Amino acid sequence: MRRKVVTIVCAVLAVICLASGGMHLSCSQGRGEIRVKGVFIEGQSGGDAETLNWILAADATSFSYVGHTLDSLAVYDNNFNIQLRCLAKDIEVSPDGLVYTITIRDDLRWSDGSPVTAEDYVYTLKNLMFSDWLNYPYKGDWQEEVNGEKVFVTPEVVNQTTFTITRKTVYPEFIYTLYDLTPYPKYIAQKYEGDAKAFTQAPEFNNLSYTGNLGPYRFKEWNRNDRFVVERNPDYYLGKDVGAPYFEQYIIKLFGTSATRQAALEAGDITYSAIEPEQVAKFKGLPDIKVYTVPTRGYTILAYNQRANGWEGLRHKEVRQALSMAISKHAIAQNILLGFAEPAFSFIPKVSPWYTEEGVMKYGVDELHDKQKAAEILYQLGYGIKQADGTIKVTDKDGKLLQLVLVVNVGSKPAEDMAFFIRKELLSLGIETEIKLVPWPTLLRQYVMNAVPGSKQEPAYNNGPDAVSQEKWDLILMGFGTDPLAPSGSHVFFASDGGLNFMGYSNPQVDELFARARSKEALDKEARKKIYAELSRLLSEEQPVNFLAFHRANYGFRKNVMGIEPGVNMGYNYHLWYFE
Amino acid sequence: MRKSWLRDYIIKRLLYSIVIAWGILTITFILVRVGPSSPADKYLANLAAKGHDPAQVIAAIEARYGLDKPILQQYGEYMLNLLQGNWGWSLSTSMPVMELIKRHWIYSFQLILLSSLFAAVLGILIGIYSAVRQYTKTDYAFTFLSFIGISIPNFWLGVMLILIFSVKLGIFKTYYDTTLPLFSLANLKALVLPVITLGTGMLAAYVRYTRSAMLENLRKPFVVTARAKGLPEHVVIGKHVFRNALLPLVTIIMFDLGSIVFGGAYLTEIVFGIPGLGQVSFNAIFANDYPVVVAITLIGTLVVLLVNLTTDIIYTYLDPRIRYD
Repeated sequence: MRRKVVTIVCAVLAVICLASGGMHLSCSQGRGEIRVKGVFIEGQSGGDAETLNWILAADATSFSYVGHTLDSLAVYDNNFNIQLRCLAKDIEVSPDGLVYTITIRDDLRWSDGSPVTAEDYVYTLKNLMFSDWLNYPYKGDWQEEVNGEKVFVTPEVVNQTTFTITRKTVYPEFIYTLYDLTPYPKYIAQKYEGDAKAFTQAPEFNNLSYTGNLGPYRFKEWNRNDRFVVERNPDYYLGKDVGAPYFEQYIIKLFGTSATRQAALEAGDITYSAIEPEQVAKFKGLPDIKVYTVPTRGYTILAYNQRANGWEGLRHKEVRQALSMAISKHAIAQNILLGFAEPAFSFIPKVSPWYTEEGVMKYGVDELHDKQKAAEILYQLGYGIKQADGTIKVTDKDGKLLQLVLVVNVGSKPAEDMAFFIRKELLSLGIETEIKLVPWPTLLRQYVMNAVPGSKQEPAYNNGPDAVSQEKWDLILMGFGTDPLAPSGSHVFFASDGGLNFMGYSNPQVDELFARARSKEALDKEARKKIYAELSRLLSEEQPVNFLAFHRANYGFRKNVMGIEPGVNMGYNYHLWYFE
Repeated sequence: MRKSWLRDYIIKRLLYSIVIAWGILTITFILVRVGPSSPADKYLANLAAKGHDPAQVIAAIEARYGLDKPILQQYGEYMLNLLQGNWGWSLSTSMPVMELIKRHWIYSFQLILLSSLFAAVLGILIGIYSAVRQYTKTDYAFTFLSFIGISIPNFWLGVMLILIFSVKLGIFKTYYDTTLPLFSLANLKALVLPVITLGTGMLAAYVRYTRSAMLENLRKPFVVTARAKGLPEHVVIGKHVFRNALLPLVTIIMFDLGSIVFGGAYLTEIVFGIPGLGQVSFNAIFANDYPVVVAITLIGTLVVLLVNLTTDIIYTYLDPRIRYD
């Protein structure tokens, strides 16, 4: 009842404001008066988007631009509670885990006023995403392997607002792919069907002129390499009751460097920007800036090359454990990442509902950070000599100086600092490390991608156990990420046939656990939790890579921005943010 | 008589320019396509992360943009479209290449024009002053400052200027605002820091070149003659010495202009967030956006050829003894 009264008041105020030709509308929400006002400017320096025609996009920026005008089916809050967006109710999964029933809201509209229907979603899947002519790059997300063949899942319209997706195999975490789904309007897309060039250049899709009331904002302008501008959508379906969103415009301003982006925040020229760790203390001291430190899903690893062109010692678990034991994770988290990180021991981040410390081997901290013990283990394994003073010097099997190659992406200061720190730690064991700072494309092509020597294989990130990279390496420092809700996606790194298992790690037990996490057994959440606990324990013990640190991110806002809920999914409610 | 041979020369050079531009366009077209990278490279990491087969997807993406056709067929189609005024579709910005260039050239042009003017006018004036007052304290000061100017990297100077004049003093915005009307004082104000950033290195160099060229001519016999004839000093310096010193200066200034057009303004554009052609071309190269790379190379080539031709023509006016026939 109270909600109804608030709705009526808001509606009346909206009518008054619109009738007076003004953009301003206000609504009491029990937390003071919230007015539509101001322009929110977000500073970014990661490069521009490629396209607003999202089905053609390869980059996250393109999806984030489109996301301002087009909601997905659902998102998660910071505690991973589902927040419905275009969904009328949560997706229903059949007891056998094969049929997903999706019911969308009945008040979603395209720009011409026609309703968004289940038919639009099914059309988008069947005729666009699954088609051969458009070549949607991520169509594999919607395929499953049946009798050795890849087949698409089956979408079907049930009625105006309901459709189903049927699988032939169980995959419990498929639901997270569904939540991200957004539709194209069938009535426009049909015009371009079968003609990839016309679809690519379609003005409706490149100008987002079809998005109706599907997002908090409407597209206004995109000046490449400069700014992306959206303006308030007064018809937004989630804004009906509360008058949201509360910014007149939302602008993404691009900067070439993080230094200029941060200078713009400090000068008050922009509203919000990410802040580099070394600048956090300074920004915390500024009276007009509020800094939020939040956990992320990203972590840094030190990969051990277990392929034929890496040091042979790295193929032994005990050697990898000893090396991990020699590197202090607290020093990395505190001294290099300035406290904006915490030691990692496995692939599941602390914020994940699947996180557990039970049985996890904490290499690199406390009693498992012990250089003397590490040297002793390596000596026992035959990789070392006892010197005259009784100390152990780690060597190769022949007693010769052990020299390792550590490759790191040039240009990232924390990564470079970590590489030099690791060299110092290994040097204390007697291991010499040659650091190679290389550009990212070189790192990928020459060190990460591999092929079987003498074969006609196209280089890939994992071309099987016999494949090796073009250049020899022993250690690579790089960033990985885990989806906190669907950690089984990390099978690409650690399963023997994982697409990103460039290290050449192989353990049948790990393969089996990842397969179980993606099977019918895992429909039972308790069973899945046990599988993930076992995976965490096993990988922390096996050390296919040295899990170094989970990162925290820092974001600076002008102090008058209200409604922010800091957390791992900060921004899930950004349509409710407002200027004080 | 003079006009006749100059006209013939210009026509001949323009014809050569067309052939050279076509040659460079063809070489660029082939080079970018036979190289190891592909516009589909950007998908690789994401695809592998999702366990997809990259080779299959790369083939599909290349088919989408017609890159799977034989290179000669691609070349033929490209040239045909080019002759019809169609420069293709930018793969990394999702818009027609011509439209992309039309939108962004002005940002680079105004920056380059103002920086060159700033550097040339101030540099020449200071250079003349330094030469005339050789070995005075002012000359030493300008020499010292010009060495600093030559040594300072653009991007560092830009960031420093932003920190001092934008963050600390609040006089300028921290970035270039593209919403300002082009012909307005506000736009001119927004360009002050970028122009100083891009122009300082050039200015310092022009000071050195002008001083040296002036000193060289000041020692020549015609200066003694002019002074002996009783010509006022400003006429000797301005009309006789400077005119003779101008010839090498024109070469250097025009050469600089060509270099800037070919991406020299990139760092300044990056620091101040100016979405000019420098940024467009660098992003296109890293994204393997072939149509934009070829178009920008063609435009750059044409500009350099035009600048060279203009330099040659200016020579004939500065020194009437120069003939190209």
